[in-house]
Amino acid sequence: MVLETDLAANMTSDVAISPAISHSSQVRLKKEGKNLMLLLPDETDSKGELSWSETWQELKHRLKSREQFWHNGGSVSLVAKDRLLDSRQLHTIAETLKEVELILATVCTNRRQTAVAAATAGYSVEQNKPGEASLNSEAKNPNTSELMAEPLYLRNTIRSGVEVRHPGTIIICGDLNPGGSAIADGDLFVWGRLRGVAHAGSAGNRKSRIMALQMEFTQLRIADQVARAPKVRPESFQPETAFISNKGISLARSDSFGKTYAFSVDGNYWQETNSIKNPKY
Amino acid sequence: MSRIIVVTSGKGGVGKTTVSSNLGAALAKLNNKVALVDADFGLRNLDLLLGLEERVVYTAIDVLAGECRLAQALVKHKSLNGLVLLPAAQNRNKESVSPDQMKKIIDALAKGYDYIIVDSPAGIELGFRNAIVAAKEALIVTTPEIAAVRDADRVIGLLEAEGVDNIHLIVNRVKPKMVQDNKMMSVEDVLELLGVPLIGVVPDDEKVIVATNKGEPLVIGESESIPGMTFLNIARRLGGEKVPFIDLMNLNENLISRLRRIFGG
Repeated sequence: MVLETDLAANMTSDVAISPAISHSSQVRLKKEGKNLMLLLPDETDSKGELSWSETWQELKHRLKSREQFWHNGGSVSLVAKDRLLDSRQLHTIAETLKEVELILATVCTNRRQTAVAAATAGYSVEQNKPGEASLNSEAKNPNTSELMAEPLYLRNTIRSGVEVRHPGTIIICGDLNPGGSAIADGDLFVWGRLRGVAHAGSAGNRKSRIMALQMEFTQLRIADQVARAPKVRPESFQPETAFISNKGISLARSDSFGKTYAFSVDGNYWQETNSIKNPKY
Repeated sequence: MSRIIVVTSGKGGVGKTTVSSNLGAALAKLNNKVALVDADFGLRNLDLLLGLEERVVYTAIDVLAGECRLAQALVKHKSLNGLVLLPAAQNRNKESVSPDQMKKIIDALAKGYDYIIVDSPAGIELGFRNAIVAAKEALIVTTPEIAAVRDADRVIGLLEAEGVDNIHLIVNRVKPKMVQDNKMMSVEDVLELLGVPLIGVVPDDEKVIVATNKGEPLVIGESESIPGMTFLNIARRLGGEKVPFIDLMNLNENLISRLRRIFGG
């Protein structure tokens, strides 16, 4: 039997959705070949500049919660772009990386002051002149890049006050607590209880889905649709999938979703194709 | 090696200072050398709860300014040997101390004591950062209310980011009757959300308010009170003992059934 809770009644279509996730608004760790790249957010980012302490907090959070896909003792290239970093901040970053057995080796920057500070501290420096092709074409042209970033795998609980944004799919191995939020350009998996705010397809992809072992959300958002939690709390929970149907955001049991739903390109929503509501044997 | 433990909550008024003073007293009663550090600059209370207000001469600020030695600023407790208090300054605010200074002072204290208990101010700003900077362990105090639990969750996240991984939970002011009637979050509900190990449950009891106003920690009194016992149990658990939790639900039932018996019910 397919359980489908219609949440469309609570839906408002003109709700402001969070701005498209900019590649440069978050601390990111990226693997390129053998090297690990640490990308810092731009200071000049339009949506609220991240202060240094916030950036550092976020870096620590990322390093602690991230699955260790690097080898201990690996070297890291810091991509600071236009961000100004003094020697003390560089030292702090190096110390923070050291805690997870990583070594800061190279600093890539467009700013002269940062380059001087890095060189003084003994890091190898790659300097780009402002305006020159960025080290990262993807970061430079986020809109033209059709490919989403590799999935972000997080191994701990997202607690109140933490917001995770990622230009791809997010996998959370833990709970998403109330007061916390996860915003993904792709799908969103919560291998635990989803109690906070979850947004999948935040760049507008209506095909994106949200999956959780226990759907106890504060709010679900897919693309430009929003749903609040139903007033009545269900007696028991099972793994469920949230998706966009013709009635707005709907929920279905995850074990049968793949077999019973297909994405209709004409309608731009998920449609029930293979109902197993009344199986005849 | 001494243990530096910060008592914090995020939300105000959930009982951080009450827990700090009673836990400090309980640890001292178990023959530990304990230093309580009031990190709530500008809104100091810990000296009041310990009944030591009139003995405060110097504060942490005076130590930092070099006006006195650290040992001079420590206030010894009246009856509990081994319990001392480092008072906060009342005439300053939280910005007058930096995390570096706080760390220096606590690390200096750590040499002579088994336990350093740091009573953190409410909030997550500089005062909180000062309180957690030297801590290796944390005790999160919360009450079974959604606002308190939400703030506790936020604080746990911040502590984890700071590398304080040894975190335990104290659920304060539990009213067993209300939990039974489904009017209050149960301890289990709180635990399920926060996901940190429980180290104590303190019932809501008038005796706590009386003891607070008298400036006398609960564990000092001769007569055994339930909240006093819960604080002693927390102190034992901190020391590594396995102490079973007092079943507050049945306690309540017993009391009611006892009353029924008395009144011939």
